[in-house]
Amino acid sequence: MTLSDCFVSVVAPLHDDADIVEPFLTEVTHVLETHYANWELVLVDDDSTDTTVPRVLDLLTKFACVRLIRLSRNFGPEIAITAGLDSVIGDFAVVMMPDSDPPQLIPDLIARARSEVMGILSGIRPERARESSLFRSGARLFYWYANKFAHLDLPKNTTDFRVYSRQSVNAISRIKDQGRYLRTFSTYVGYHNATFVYEPIQRRAKPRTRGLVEAIALGFDMIVVSTTHPLRMATWMALSLSLLSAVHAGYVLVADLIAEDVPTPWAGLSLQMSAMFCFMFVILAVLSEYIGRLLGESSGRPLYYVAGEHSSSVLIADADRKNVVTDSIGELGTTESRRPPLGSGQ
Amino acid sequence: MSRAAEYDAVIVGGGFYGSHLALDLRTRRHWRVLLLEREHSIFQRASYANQARVHNGYHYPRSLVTGLRSRINFPRFVEEFSDCIDRSFDKYYAIARLSSNVTAAQFRRFCERIEAPLEPAPPAVVALFDRDRIEAVFRVREHAFDSVALNRAMLARLHDHAIEVRLGVEADSVRALDDGRLEVACSGAEGPETLSATWVFNCTYSRLNRLLTRSGLASIPLKHELVEVPLLDVPETLHGLGITVMCGPFFSVMPFPPRGLHSLHHVRYTVHYSWQDRSDAAWIDPGRPFNGLARRSNLPYMIADSTRFLPEMARCRHVDSLWEVKTVLPRSEADDSRPILCRRDHAIPNLVSIMGAKIDNVYDVEDYLAAALA
Repeated sequence: MTLSDCFVSVVAPLHDDADIVEPFLTEVTHVLETHYANWELVLVDDDSTDTTVPRVLDLLTKFACVRLIRLSRNFGPEIAITAGLDSVIGDFAVVMMPDSDPPQLIPDLIARARSEVMGILSGIRPERARESSLFRSGARLFYWYANKFAHLDLPKNTTDFRVYSRQSVNAISRIKDQGRYLRTFSTYVGYHNATFVYEPIQRRAKPRTRGLVEAIALGFDMIVVSTTHPLRMATWMALSLSLLSAVHAGYVLVADLIAEDVPTPWAGLSLQMSAMFCFMFVILAVLSEYIGRLLGESSGRPLYYVAGEHSSSVLIADADRKNVVTDSIGELGTTESRRPPLGSGQ
Repeated sequence: MSRAAEYDAVIVGGGFYGSHLALDLRTRRHWRVLLLEREHSIFQRASYANQARVHNGYHYPRSLVTGLRSRINFPRFVEEFSDCIDRSFDKYYAIARLSSNVTAAQFRRFCERIEAPLEPAPPAVVALFDRDRIEAVFRVREHAFDSVALNRAMLARLHDHAIEVRLGVEADSVRALDDGRLEVACSGAEGPETLSATWVFNCTYSRLNRLLTRSGLASIPLKHELVEVPLLDVPETLHGLGITVMCGPFFSVMPFPPRGLHSLHHVRYTVHYSWQDRSDAAWIDPGRPFNGLARRSNLPYMIADSTRFLPEMARCRHVDSLWEVKTVLPRSEADDSRPILCRRDHAIPNLVSIMGAKIDNVYDVEDYLAAALA
């Protein structure tokens, strides 16, 4: 089989993934080297607290064309993916989550993105049956609002598994917004986008999922960073409320002049007050979300900091070094500890 | 009664350091000097296949000593080898926005501190770069040397000073005789022979440890890298320009005067693989891994990455690639400094191993030796 001349980069964010990084790396590397003449795998460590980094450093001595970018602290997967996309050099970049996305799909996806001259190809997973009905109706509400009113054009149940063309990678890395949701960016930058449906794999017995509160917060964030539609809603609400208040004020004035001895309507007054406060607080909440957003964006800070970058360095003299593995104090101690475990001795 | 040695000094290795040292010992101390070189002429290996950069300090913003020494040695080298220096191009340093270890402001401050000339690049040059990825571009004063011209000039000077040069001869081992002289066993086209000398200077770069281990001496921990230097025919927009992107996993595209082309170096992709000499293991012949593994060019990677910073790189035409063994001190892995190794052997004090990384810092080691030998 001849290798494709297309240069493919794969980006995967890592966070406490020491348990699955090796099978992931093995599979991706195998798929890439059997299909492409030039490829790279960029792993972005989002400040793991387990042994992910030493594990990967060890793997770098075994696998070629792999890079590890270590972020200075935990920035979250969106920023980690951004750091990866800023660094990839391929004609196409494939972003995948190591625990759930199947590397075997890469060749077909790349072939499709190439033949249809696609900007971004986004993965869609089937509805998860084990999610609670509350969770699912929340998700439905989110997509209904996001697509119907905010015109975000978000395909339902998209995952982070995506193929980006070089053009769209460049477009996305020019966006320096602090609030980053790649699925909303994908729509924003345009180009020719499409989706594909796939069945996620489970590298972990117990997949990591989002809690309900976390999901709701994410929903709010995504809306706030990508559209001002809620602000416009607040405007309409404020206008209609003020109109209503004006009418009411007129009515009260007239009633006071004409009628005598108007009884104080306790229930009516309190109802009116609480309704007004309710609406006002909603407007305030919307405003404060956007003020927070403004503050975040106006700081102009870098999106992330890189603590270090490591590339594959396969020491070829390993065969000659088998007989010295057991050195307790070598002058090159650091390299010694990074040596890959070797097969049977010579 | 001790017999006089045939030579005051035998210098093993006709690279730039070995040849220059031969001249220095001859002119400064009037020694009888012999220079041995295993290739068919001097400067065939690492002195040829490299970036041809005459450092002026800019390259080492994180090591003040290395930067400053380059800064001091630069005019000395440029003056001594005036005819071998290519001044026909402008040199620019671009500072990357992301992943750079220095910012533009820090780089400017560093250059002020070592008094290296620096000015903003003209707009036409700045326009060549992707401004989202490059923070600033500076014009600097840095040159390239022409190693073929350098070879000719050096051979003429060795001849003028009546220094004996034997080509195609490799020193295999050094042994201390009872009378203090050193015996050097060599092999060449004319078969094995032995020479005697008072001093032996081991300037064999990637083969330093070959001579040491064959002499029964402890080897020096050294790291070797197989490097690929692609030679490119650059588009006319890059003619007359030398560009270095600082300071991290970036690249440098410099004129390569002997061929009239540009050489491309990339921090991440130039090195194909590496290995280490260890004091407790047999010496690994650089010739073996060098020839043993398939050479698959890393050029597509270098071009793909450099195009992101300098879009014109996509229009370069690959002419061919030089492959060479580069040797570094493991200690320079951790920082930016590039010290010169100058080590007298414990068992044979008159055997001195010398290894330098940058051509113009040769004066440092000679000044150091002059003091040590005095």
